[in-house]
Amino acid sequence: MSETFTCDDKDQLVAFLYDELGEDARRRVAEHLRICAACADEVTGLTHVREELAAWAPPDADLGYTIVPTAGTADRAPQVLRPARWWLPSPVPTWARAAAAVLVIAAGLSLANLQVRYGAEGLVVTTGWMTPAPPPAPPVADATVAATDVPTAVSAPVADWRPALAALEASLREEIQAARSGADPVAVSAPLRENGLTLQRIAELIEQSERRQRQELALRLTQFGRDLEVQRRSDLVRINQGFGQFEGRAGAEIARQRQMLDYIMRVSAPPPPQ
Amino acid sequence: MAWTDEELVAKSVAGDADSFNQLILRWERPIYALAYRVIGRDEDARDVVQETFLRAFRALPGFKGQAKFSSWLYRIALNLCRDWIRRQKRTPVVAAPEGVDVIELAAEQGPVESIEDLVARNQLSASVAVAMQKLPEEQRTAIILKEYHGLTFQEIADLQGCPLSTVKTRLYQGLSVLRRDLESQGMTRARAAERAS
Repeated sequence: MSETFTCDDKDQLVAFLYDELGEDARRRVAEHLRICAACADEVTGLTHVREELAAWAPPDADLGYTIVPTAGTADRAPQVLRPARWWLPSPVPTWARAAAAVLVIAAGLSLANLQVRYGAEGLVVTTGWMTPAPPPAPPVADATVAATDVPTAVSAPVADWRPALAALEASLREEIQAARSGADPVAVSAPLRENGLTLQRIAELIEQSERRQRQELALRLTQFGRDLEVQRRSDLVRINQGFGQFEGRAGAEIARQRQMLDYIMRVSAPPPPQ
Repeated sequence: MAWTDEELVAKSVAGDADSFNQLILRWERPIYALAYRVIGRDEDARDVVQETFLRAFRALPGFKGQAKFSSWLYRIALNLCRDWIRRQKRTPVVAAPEGVDVIELAAEQGPVESIEDLVARNQLSASVAVAMQKLPEEQRTAIILKEYHGLTFQEIADLQGCPLSTVKTRLYQGLSVLRRDLESQGMTRARAAERAS
């Protein structure tokens, strides 16, 4: 190896670029770069290219190939390789998958606005965002009618649901009393907190969706602007080419006519006196 | 404790398919990245990955550990890529990295990177991809192995079956062509000015 580095030694330049030179050789190249602007510029340019190359990333492909032994064969050859399916054992722990499933179900229920009520009309399950129709009003006893005409027909249903309502009220009071007297407050607040978390999650989803839409709009606008610019430049180039061709054709025509005129002048000129 | 490649290879040879699956898990992404960059198509790169590991699995008893397992895989994958290119009888052209959703990327990046930066980066990525696909296959492969897989000159020379100096020449010529190409599009100069400011 020579003691000095010369400009045409590209092997050493590449080795310097990738830091695969010994200490002495590296020092020699570095000294040369201090005094040779051309080589320094080349190294800078190639370094920039290497930095740009980092921008080229392959897509984030979902691979997950696995060797799957084929049933009934002990030989190595009939094994097949296929992408792992989600139901096969995967690196994702079971608890994480269960948590994800709970989240999905909770989100679905919250979107469906599931409501479960237990009341005088029994167990009621409703979904959707429409306000449920009010239950049919219990027949109200008209004082005068009840007192005179059909007292038994009106008072019979009242007699049916009032004891049930009273029993439910008593039961609720007992539960509230029990809760106040020392039940775990967390147990009471948990559903509220879950509702809060669900609402927060929905708000986040809406915000993410809006952000994506804004970004998509910005991207579309940028692409549109770029397309417009490319089209404009392309049109300008075509116009310039058209003008150039026109000028060329006109110039050729003028030259041809000038030649013809010269020829006519020459042949029509009177012969010189003898 | 994580098993080394050599240990997993030994267990695989002894008939432990799970060990080979661990090797796949470890190396499928680098092999996919290599194949994608060399041939430029997502679906075909996936096929190369599958075929690489199938061939490796079948040939595993014959693998005596003369080279690193990863080098052996790279060699199989590169041979498959070369076959693919020969079959296509043309240099593949990649207009842009496939499957890269700018919106998805923006969502992942969050508020740090603006949409303009993201679009610019995507454009740069596409320009680099197109410029790379214009290179001769040997130069492109040498640059890919060096830049994206960090192989030494000697390892590349072994894979490409050529002298060390040839590898350096291929790298130099390839990078120089890329430089001219990207500069003609105003890529590297603009970015350099951006960095300087």
